[in-house]
Amino acid sequence: MYAYAWIGTLESMTETITIRRPTAAAGEDVSAPTFTVDGPLEGLRVGLRTDLAWRSWQLIADIWADYLRRDGAHPVTVETSAQVGDTASQDRSHIEQLAEDVDCAIVGLGTCGSCTSFAIADAVIVEKHRKPSIAVVAEEFATHGHNMARHLGHGDLKILVLPYPLEARPEHELREIADTYYPTALKLLGVRP
Amino acid sequence: MTAGSLTAETIELDADPRALYELSLEERWGDGVPLLPPTDDVIESLLVTTPYPPEHVLCALPPRYGVATVELVAINAAMAGCTPAAFPYVIAALDAITVPEWNAFGLTTTTSSVFPMLIVNGPSRDDVGIDYRAGCMGGAAGRGSMTIGRAVSLCLRNIGGQRAGDTSRSVFGQPARFGMCFGEWEERSPWPSLARRRGFDETDDVMTVHGGKGTFPLADINNDDPRDLLYLLAKSIAFPLSNMYLGHAENGQVVLAINPMWAERFAAPFPDVEEMQAFLWEHAWQPVELWPAPNQEILRKKERVRDDGRVHLVERPDQIVPIVCGGLGSLHAIALPSFGESEMQSVAVVRA
Repeated sequence: MYAYAWIGTLESMTETITIRRPTAAAGEDVSAPTFTVDGPLEGLRVGLRTDLAWRSWQLIADIWADYLRRDGAHPVTVETSAQVGDTASQDRSHIEQLAEDVDCAIVGLGTCGSCTSFAIADAVIVEKHRKPSIAVVAEEFATHGHNMARHLGHGDLKILVLPYPLEARPEHELREIADTYYPTALKLLGVRP
Repeated sequence: MTAGSLTAETIELDADPRALYELSLEERWGDGVPLLPPTDDVIESLLVTTPYPPEHVLCALPPRYGVATVELVAINAAMAGCTPAAFPYVIAALDAITVPEWNAFGLTTTTSSVFPMLIVNGPSRDDVGIDYRAGCMGGAAGRGSMTIGRAVSLCLRNIGGQRAGDTSRSVFGQPARFGMCFGEWEERSPWPSLARRRGFDETDDVMTVHGGKGTFPLADINNDDPRDLLYLLAKSIAFPLSNMYLGHAENGQVVLAINPMWAERFAAPFPDVEEMQAFLWEHAWQPVELWPAPNQEILRKKERVRDDGRVHLVERPDQIVPIVCGGLGSLHAIALPSFGESEMQSVAVVRA
């Protein structure tokens, strides 16, 4: 009896089955072209996309709008707040309009999962109008931002990574961050003297 | 259909069930629990239940926009243990998830715990093994409920590429991310079923997908007056840190699962479900003073604060969605709070 059991075990150990792989093939890693200002800032209309959810980013964007004016550019601000429904439709059409109206854009903020996805998508809308744009993403969501850009076919989208977290920081720290990263934002856009 | 019509890569492995389990962990296919082998005979038995050929593209599933062919969905459903009768429900769920207003783009990547919660209506619930009585949201172990929910979860993972800590930024996740699917106990509901209210016939089998953040338990043993109890349910679902207060009032739904005993009590004063929804809406609010100043500022900016200082959970009564299910032990309700920025979707189950 034991001999039969042993043989049975051996047989089952050598049996094989054929299964099918359950994963989708990874999409082609092709990136749409990106654009740069490649010129001076003066006279440019610069889009600034804010998000009603993130007060930290509203402050930083306000400061950058002041700096852009100081440096001879014309900031154009659009605030988004929704992902579905009529408000979201209005948000996306405002972004389309922004992409039409400006020379380049700074799109923030990615500091949660879905808001990073939407920030990247809105930056891509600007790039699809063949205008330079950068997405602004907090450090914790930087990899996610790059992944989303790649999945949307814009893997080379320029992403400005800000420290994380931004929320709940004292205002003076946010002002320091705004000062520190303003030149980096311009550099990523391709602004040169 | 023949095996030649399947195109996914084949893998030969040891027939020992542990071999597939180990491979699934290594390849990150699985949810950490053993899977059944997706062999051609099983896959084909699922495919014949749909009107679609294996290569038919159902959708591109975020977050990585993997192309969901019917064959790939069947492979994942086979691994989850779906029966042929259950497979069309998986397809219906994916159809619903990829309606843009469900917002899979945001929901598959969010820091929130939100996940597709599948609610089934229709005459085939028992045939498929959909749980709608005691323990329907966990523990009842009906094959249809467990495998349909799990198949959809596996599709999001393996086709959509949704993985916690990677493409999904969900901070906590939730148990429903293994898969959550339950039915409505239509026969014990004093009101038209959820599917009927959403425009389907009573002969239709219908899959409704709700972007639910979790199961929020509610209990009471003290109220004899059904209005008092409904008032407390309304106040309880309007908790101040609900996602519904973060977004726009007109977006999203809160599902309120009511046990059959309570449903019977509530139907006495509210034989019309819309009147009950209106009553719930009337009391599902908090005074703006409840929140600290920064929240108040945002709520005012989003025009959420009414002239009387109330902040309603949702803009309209129909956004509070009662369904009847659960055991006859009474005493409990379950709310399924919404992500907010997601609209519930319903799709009829289509068979070959």
